[in-house]
Parts: sequence; C-alpha cells; structure tokens
Amino acid sequence: MSSTSTFAARSGIRIPAPALVIPLVAIVASFAVGFALMDVTGSSISDAIAAFAQGAFGSPYAIGTSLNRAIALGLVGLGFILAERANLINVGGEGQIAMGGIFATAVALYGGVAGLPFGLSVLLPVLAGTLAAAAWGALAGLMKIRFGTNEVISTLLLNFIALLLVYWSVQSVHLLRQPATFAGTLPQSLSVPDSTELPLLTGDPSDPIHIGAVVAIILAIITAIVLRRSAFGLKLKAIGLNPLASRRAGIRTNLLTVLVLGLSGAFGGLAGTMMLLGNQDYLTAGFSSGYGFDGLVVGLLSRGSVLGVVAVAIFFGFLRSGGISMQIAAHVPAALVTIVQGIIVVAIAGSAILIDRTSRRA
Amino acid sequence: MNLDTLTVYISSTLHFAVPLMLAASGELVSEAAGVLNLSLEGMMLFAAFFAIWGTSISGDPWVGLLCGISSGLIFSALQAILSVRLRANQLVVGIGLNILALGATTFLNREIFGALSRQLVPGFGLLEIPGLSSLPIIGPSLFHQYYVVYVGVALIAAIWFVLRFTAYGVECHAVGDDPRSADWAGVSVVRVRTIAILVTGAMAGVSGTLISVGDIRTFTENMTNGAGYLAIAAIIFGGWRLWPTVGACLLFGGAMALQFQFSAADSLVPTAALLMLPYVLALLSVAGLVGRQVPPSALTIPFLSSR
Amino acid sequence: MAARSSLAIASSEAATAPSVPRAAARDEVLELVGITKSFGSLTAVADVSLAVRAGEVLCLLGENGAGKSTLCNMIFGVYRPTTGLMHLVGAPYAPADPKTALEAGVGMVHQHFSVVPSMSVVDNLLLGRSRGVLKRTAFADEIEARAAEFGLKVDPWRIVKEMSVGERQRLEIVKCLMARPRLLLLDEPTAVLPPEEIGSFLDVCRRIADSGGALILVTHKLAEVAKIADRTAILRSGRIVDTVPMRGANMKSIVQDMIGRELGAADAAVGLDLAETGERVGSTARVASENPGATAFAAAATPESARSRSADALQIDALSYRDRNGALRLNEITIQVRPGEIIGVAGVEGNGQTELGLILAGIERPSSGRWFVGDHEMTDATPRQITAAGVGIVPEDRHAVGAVVDMTVADNLCLQNLKHYVRFGLVRRSAMTAAAEDLIGRYDVRGAGPQTRFASLSGGNQQKVVLARELTLDPLTVLIAAQPTRGLDVGAVETVYGHIRSACKRGAGVLLISSELDELIAVSHRIAVIYRGRIMGELPALPSNREAIGALMSGNAA
Repeated sequence: MSSTSTFAARSGIRIPAPALVIPLVAIVASFAVGFALMDVTGSSISDAIAAFAQGAFGSPYAIGTSLNRAIALGLVGLGFILAERANLINVGGEGQIAMGGIFATAVALYGGVAGLPFGLSVLLPVLAGTLAAAAWGALAGLMKIRFGTNEVISTLLLNFIALLLVYWSVQSVHLLRQPATFAGTLPQSLSVPDSTELPLLTGDPSDPIHIGAVVAIILAIITAIVLRRSAFGLKLKAIGLNPLASRRAGIRTNLLTVLVLGLSGAFGGLAGTMMLLGNQDYLTAGFSSGYGFDGLVVGLLSRGSVLGVVAVAIFFGFLRSGGISMQIAAHVPAALVTIVQGIIVVAIAGSAILIDRTSRRA
Repeated sequence: MNLDTLTVYISSTLHFAVPLMLAASGELVSEAAGVLNLSLEGMMLFAAFFAIWGTSISGDPWVGLLCGISSGLIFSALQAILSVRLRANQLVVGIGLNILALGATTFLNREIFGALSRQLVPGFGLLEIPGLSSLPIIGPSLFHQYYVVYVGVALIAAIWFVLRFTAYGVECHAVGDDPRSADWAGVSVVRVRTIAILVTGAMAGVSGTLISVGDIRTFTENMTNGAGYLAIAAIIFGGWRLWPTVGACLLFGGAMALQFQFSAADSLVPTAALLMLPYVLALLSVAGLVGRQVPPSALTIPFLSSR
Repeated sequence: MAARSSLAIASSEAATAPSVPRAAARDEVLELVGITKSFGSLTAVADVSLAVRAGEVLCLLGENGAGKSTLCNMIFGVYRPTTGLMHLVGAPYAPADPKTALEAGVGMVHQHFSVVPSMSVVDNLLLGRSRGVLKRTAFADEIEARAAEFGLKVDPWRIVKEMSVGERQRLEIVKCLMARPRLLLLDEPTAVLPPEEIGSFLDVCRRIADSGGALILVTHKLAEVAKIADRTAILRSGRIVDTVPMRGANMKSIVQDMIGRELGAADAAVGLDLAETGERVGSTARVASENPGATAFAAAATPESARSRSADALQIDALSYRDRNGALRLNEITIQVRPGEIIGVAGVEGNGQTELGLILAGIERPSSGRWFVGDHEMTDATPRQITAAGVGIVPEDRHAVGAVVDMTVADNLCLQNLKHYVRFGLVRRSAMTAAAEDLIGRYDVRGAGPQTRFASLSGGNQQKVVLARELTLDPLTVLIAAQPTRGLDVGAVETVYGHIRSACKRGAGVLLISSELDELIAVSHRIAVIYRGRIMGELPALPSNREAIGALMSGNAA
C-alpha cells in the first residue's frame, strides 16, 4: 500500500514525502501555538526568537552544547531502535542513563583511574558506565526469557529504581555524596577529576563539543549497517516477526534477546556517561533530566530509521538549548518550551496514521 | 512505636494511599481494556491544577472537584483520540502528554497565581462517622475523613461492580485479552477503550483534586511527582485485579509514610530504599517471583479492525 | 475421513459455466447472484450464484484457495462483495459486519475459534449481546438448554482456555445456535474432531437442518459430503463449477470438477477410499501394483529389524512430556525409523502429535526419555544441532513455526543456513537470491520469486518452500513431517508425497505424523498409532489394516 493512499484517497490531496512533510507541519503548528501563548503572556516574540536562535546555534558554544545534547538523545534513540528491530520495546533509557552516570562517577572518583595514561582515565569510567547500563538492560532481557516478563513493564519499573539509586547514592556519604563539610553541603558527588573528563573536539572550552560526537556518528553508521545489512540484524528482524520460527531455524532467540536489550542499555549508559563526563562533571539527583524519556521519544518517532534518529535527536537537542536560552535571555517561561515540546511529540505521534503505518501485531 | 505514633502512621499511610487508589482504579479499567496510560501522571497533575483554580474562583471545593474531574476527562480524551482512534503509539502519546501537562500546569500556575504563590483555597469538609471514629488507632483515619474521600471509595466500589457484573466489564476484559474475537463478536474495540480511558481520566481527576485541594490546598509545580507511575506500579503488583491493586496502594502508601517516621539521624532505612520499594515489589511480581502476574494480552498494542 | 481421487476419471460432465439457480423457491433462505470478490488484483471469488433452502445442507466443496472461506466470509459480513447481490429470505442482504449478519439470522462457526480464551463460556456468549447488569445464572441455564436441544453438552462456567479442542468446537456451534440462526455457515468444522465425534457432529448438523435451518458446510472431505450434503456446490478458482444434488451423484465426477484435471493412475499417494460412499476405488492389489514399495517394504521390514540399533535413522526411546500445567502429553513414546523407511504416526489431532513435533524440532524438551539420530543423542539438542545432524523438519504449523511469514521467500529459505551467505558479518543478498531462485525452480514453487513475501503464497506453495528448505539439507538423515498436507489441494498433496518418497529413496528415514489415515496407509511402510500421548500399537500400512488402525486411533486396544 502506498504511504499516501489512505489520506490521499479520502481527501484527494497528494502529499509528497509524507514521512517528512507531516512531522514538519506538526512542528510548525506547535511553534505557532507557542508563539500564540507567548503573545498572550506578553513576552516579545521577536526577543524570544532571537534568544532561541542565539541559544541554539548563535555561537560555537551554543552549537556545541546543542550537539552534545543531541548526542545523548541520539544514543538513547539508537539503542531503542536496535531493540525495536526484534520487537523489544525498551522504555528504560532514563534509568540506563542513570546507571551509566552512577558508575562513571564512581569509577572516575574512586576507581583510581585519574592518573592512568593512554586515555584510560577517560576510557575506564566510560566503560564502567556503559557496562553497568548494559547489565541493567540485560536484566530486563533475562526477565523476559526466564519469566516471560513484558519488557515494557520491566524497563519502565527499572527506570524508577535506577533514578532512586542515583538519589540514594548522592544522599549518602557512604556512597557517592561529597563529604559533608558543613550543614549545607549539597547532595551531589564531588567533581570528577579533569583527566577523566571527555576531551573536547577542538580543545577549546568555548566550543564544548566533545569526542562523543565522533563516537556517536560512528555508532550511528555501525547501527545502520547492522540493522540493514548484517546477519545479526536479519536475525533480530526474524525474532521480531516470529520468535518461534526463528528458534526453529536455529537462531538463538534467548541469547539474542538478552544481548540486544543489553546493547540497548549500553547505548543509554554511554549517553549517561557522556552527559556526566562531558557536560556536568558531578552527579546529582536529577542529572538525567528527562533525557532518557526524550531519547525514547526520539526512538519512537524515528520509526526504526537511523537517519530518523539522527534528525530527530539533532532537532530536540537544538530545541532544548534554544528553550533554555529563551528562558534566560528573553524571560520566556521554560514551561512554554515544555508545552511546545509536548505538543510536537503528541502531534507527530498522532499523525502517524496519516503516514499510514498499520499497527504491527494487530 | 506507641499508639499515637501508630495512629499518625495510619493516617499518613491513608493520606498517601487514597489518591493512589483512585488513580490506580481508574487506570486499571484502561489496562484491562489493553491501554497503558503513561499519561496518568499528566492527567492527575492537570486535574490538581484545575481543581485549585476552580476552587479559587468559586470558593467552593466541590466546584473544584468538578473542575478536576472535567479536566481529567478532557486530558484523557486527548489520549483516547490519539491512541485509540488514530492508533498512535500509546507510549509516545503518554510521555508527550505528560510533558505537555507539566508545561501547561507550570505555565498556567505562573500566569494565574504567580510562580511562588502559596495562596490557599478552601478545603473539603470532614465527615465524621459517629462511634466508629472513636475507635482506637484506626478510628480517626478511616472514619473521620474528608467527604470527598468517601466519595472516592464509593467510586472504586462502583468500578469493581461494573467490571465484574456488567456487560461493559465483560467487553472490557475481552478487548484487552483478545480484541480480535471481541471485534468479531460485534464489540466496538474503539468504543470500549475510549470509555475506559475516560474513566481513567475522571478518576485521575478525583485523585488530582485530593492531592491539591484535599491536601495542602494550593498548587505547586509538578506536585504529583511520580504518583501516576506509582499507581501503574500498584496495578502491576496487584496483578491487574482491583482489590489487590487497592491493597498494593495501601502497601505503597505505608512505605511512603515510613519515610516520615524515621528522623534524619536514625536512618536505619534510607529514604531512597523506601521510595524504591514499590517499584521493586512491582518488578518482582511481574517476574512472577511474588505471585504469578500476567498483564492483559493486548496491553499497549493498537488494534486495527479487519472489517 | 480424507478423500482424494486417484482415478483416471472418465466423466462426461465437463466443467462448464455454472448454472444459475433461478427457481426462487418459497423456502429459499439465501440467494447469491453474481457475487465477485477481488482483493486488489487478486480475484478470490468470481461470479458465484447459488441458493440454499430451509432444511437443506449445502456443501461447498473445493480445493484450498478455491474461494470457499472468502465466500463464507462475505455471507457473514466479514468482507463485502466487490459486485453482486445477496438475498436473505427474499429481502436484499448486505451485512456491513458480522454483528449485522448475526442479527439477520446468519451464524458462522469459524475455522479459527473466535472466543476469548481467558473468559468463561457464559461471558463469551454474553459478549456483544447484552447490556447493563449481567444475569449470568439465568443465561447459563439458557445455554445448557439450547445446547441440549441439539444434543450438545456444554459447561457454561468453564474457562475456555481449559477446554479441549473438541469442546471449543462445540462451544462455537452453541454460540451460533443461541441466536437461532436461519442460516449456519460452517468452515471446515471437522478438521479438529476425532473420528468418533465427527459422526455425532454431522448428526447435529442434520438436526439443525431438520429444525428448519439452512446449512452451508465448507469442506474438502468427500466422505463428509457424501454423508451429510443434500446438494454440493463445487468451487474451483473462485467459480462455481457445478452444483450437484447428492442423490445418485457420481463421486468421481465431483472430484474431477474439484481439481479440474485427470490424476494419473500412479498417484496412489492420494488413495481415495470411497468405501463410505459405497464405491471401491482401488483394491489392495491395485494399490500394491501402483506402489510396489508399500507392500514390499512392509514385507522387508522383518529382516531389517534384525539389524543393530545404531542403524536406525531415528530412534525415540520412552519419550515423555509434561506441559506447563503438569499434564502428561506424551507417555513413553517409543518409535524406530530405519533409513529409507517411512513410519507413519496416525492419530486424531490433539493426542500429542503437536508436542512430539515440537520436541523433535528442539523447541521443547522432553520430561523424560531420550531420542537419537543415528548414534547421536538429540534429547537436549538445540534446533541448530538437530539441523546439523541432518534432520529436516516440516512442522505442523508452517505459519507459526515453519516460516517467518512476513519475510521474503529467500529469507525463509536461507535463514536456517545463514552462515553460508554471510561474510564479515554481512549478509550477501545476491547469493541468497541465487540460491532461492534455484530452489524455487527445482521445487516448482508457483506465484513467487525470491523477494515475494512468504505470506502471499498459497498454502501449497508455502509448503513447497518449507520442503525445499528441509529436503536440501545435505546429508538428510531424517525427515520429520507433521500434518504436511493439511490445507493443501489435491495437486499439492501429490507433490508433497512425491518429495517425501524421493527423500526416502535417498536413504533418509521419514517420520510422517498425520491425521489423514488414508494418506498414511498409501505412503508409509508401517503405522504407529498415537492416542492420548501413548503409542497404542504399530501395524503394517496396508489397507486391510485400516479398521484395526482406526480402532487404535479411537483408543481401543488392538
């Protein structure tokens, strides 16, 4: 069935490239609502737009920050579509980011890695965070193969558990909290040593984009190849379509289920590690700040395509930066940006029917 | 722990548990019909705000309740249209709506009341059941409660009745477990699921009202703070059955109340652990380690009628 | 039981244009005029006209893909005809959905059950037919009473998923009868019934007809048609080829109409036993001369049994299996298959064959017992290892187990041996396509290229793809085929058995699990009978043993 058939057939309108055009229309409409609200509340739209542009891409710093955000979102999105190939829905990005952050911090601060050469001081915390999150994702996989547990539910619950683990670890000085020097010491970890921070691409602090960008691009390319051309990707597809027949054909469905959910988690953990060692420097309770859920949205909206993940991640990354800037520079309430973001997500999701996607497994 | 502390503890437990129960009962109907409303959180938050708003402009908390329920209904109608009629992915829509609710309520709160306003609105009256309310320990908490709480409990009982003894209840379970067969039997899957989501919205409305007007009588940003997800966890732990879910809510309420029993010094049990307990329990239960819990087969899967 | 033709049929009744029943009888319940249904470019039903009267049983006979189910689905409102008219008791009839059809008095007993497994019978029957507060007890009484009217017994409080297949079938019928339908459509209803229940099922049909209802029974089994039909409409490629009153009907010409061509005399693989219709098609002698292998092997079986065990291609030793609920599904199954031998496992579906098939495919583990391929123990083997041992498996459920229906033919053909098409972890599509084309040609898979979606092939061609994949295993030591001809038309059945026999000639041992007794008798050397998970006995596969085998299938000790 052609992708324009349903809507076009009914209304006689021909929409070119609906998968691109319709989301664009949704975005424009959402912005329109945002501007209308701005107008109603007396903010200056022109100021707001200027601040948005400035904050999103107005300077190398802005662009770098936006891209760093996009990297985190994109990684979570890549992890999501990888598991989705096997019809496994991983909504645990937020928790996997959290686990990545916890273990990266722990190893960076207390793992004795600060003095190691050859980039190990960075590599080891990154590895620790990634592996911890991989285990967190694999846990859901194990529950699925052993108990038949629905992974949507298990990864959802694991989210909250992980977020509370972050909270716990920064509350307790026995864990990751900085030593309480006085009554008002904030519940957060120490700053990680400089040597464990992600190196910047340009080496210039005013351009904060870190090597995570390179890593992310490489991973995106690898993911695309894996999904489309590799035997692993074909097996995932088979499992997603028919696990029983796949098993009969000799595919190790149990192993691959755990593996792909672990990989999915690893992507989230990597994102969390990068957020911590690249941007934030220390662990606090809210450090994941919704990137996991946003990354999940990125994955869901990209409909299985790596290109889609990249595009949507970049878009949301810039949107976030611009939003923060609007708030600071033009005094536009941050809530407004949140509203616009919410509308965009809902609008694009709701327009899926226009892009004529019939639901799987109906 | 002396008797007074116990009484306070039980009060505290109920204080946390009742909004959970209301939200969870409503969401249970949706999940029984195969819809997972991650936007439950958003519904409750939306309702919490509009309940305050309604009460503040009318001076009557019952008007506020009406506003709360209405706004819950409107919000859930969005989820229904998107997820059921347009067959959009339930998870994305849920998360998107939560984002929207957070933004909208924060925004409106600032515009209407001013960000840091702690202006209080009139609260609900208490209903005292004579005799029973003097029972030791449980008396004050169970039988000397806000009117609206008793209304809420009556609603939960009504939901139980509908699910068990009416045609809609049977249709609901059928649609959640085997929408294909239900479709063939002439049941409109869309209609059943839409009604279910609206019920969730209405109950979320009551719950949200309790959280704001029924408690601190003002609105603070993100005041639901994850209660919606907790309610979903309660349903999971309760095995998608109503009374076990209510029990789960009581248990979770008890865990949350515990954190206020321990002073900061003797933190035998860290707050985080207590907060984590509901989710861990839900996780264990869905792994079948604590009872065998099976979700409705068609949960989260959009339905396309073949006709 | 199974009914397929083996004769060169000299029939003067050519397949001509359908005669349109124009006699609008006063008790005519349903009339179809020029009904056509197309799905895109595929025409499933073309210009069908027929009529059914009250009190009549009309059988719709035809091969798979002939359009029988589509036709029924249109009458029941699942599909809407592309063109054509329908009349129900004289009034125009165009149901928009099954609910409308039900309200108009048309009921349908589906091939795939349409009840919700997790609910009780009462709730299932109340579904969509009640409002407000339920009166379950009163309705339960009503259900029991209605069922009893037609000689059926049903427990209203039973949860459907705990019911056996036969019970569910009965439930489907009761579900329809609750509405006192004018017209009842039954789509291959006896496919899942044990032989002793088929008789009583047909009695129920007769009772329904006698009480004034009209029935349309879709089937491919000639013996049933002979027993129950008042008239038979024969469908071929979506068209009605002929409508024949059963009194004095010529069965051979009916079969000819069904398949539209003459079958070679040598096709003993599809032995049609028309004993129940009073005609003997082939004598034992004829079968023997047509297929000398059958009796020859049976006779030769004795000296071979003197050989040592490790010469067995397949050895199943006291295999038992308990399912998830603890029920014992297989009870100490012991079977031996020698190379070049075809052992049939006869039994009505639901007696453990499915479980046996899953264990031999490596998808389930037995609770006790062992099984071997040659010298290698396979008891705990994974599907991978089983395939590596040279075991080809044609599973019972080709949609659920045999193939990934949403993937292409090439994918399905190569998925099992993916490593031959992989380099540096990447799939070599061109190699896969080439291999697929080769197999498609060799196995005469029609209507498909390597990139065609498996699901769009007809049943027969799908089975050919599965066979192609399994039979090209090299070496092929064992072939396990479970219900390989289910849902296939006569021509495809021939092809399947041809392949099975050639595998056997190549030295593979074949285990053939089937509920089609006549096919088993024609193809196998020996037949083991399975009943409630136990092997009741083993007999040479001779027509003369048919009754004895049938008795074992029903649980009576030999």
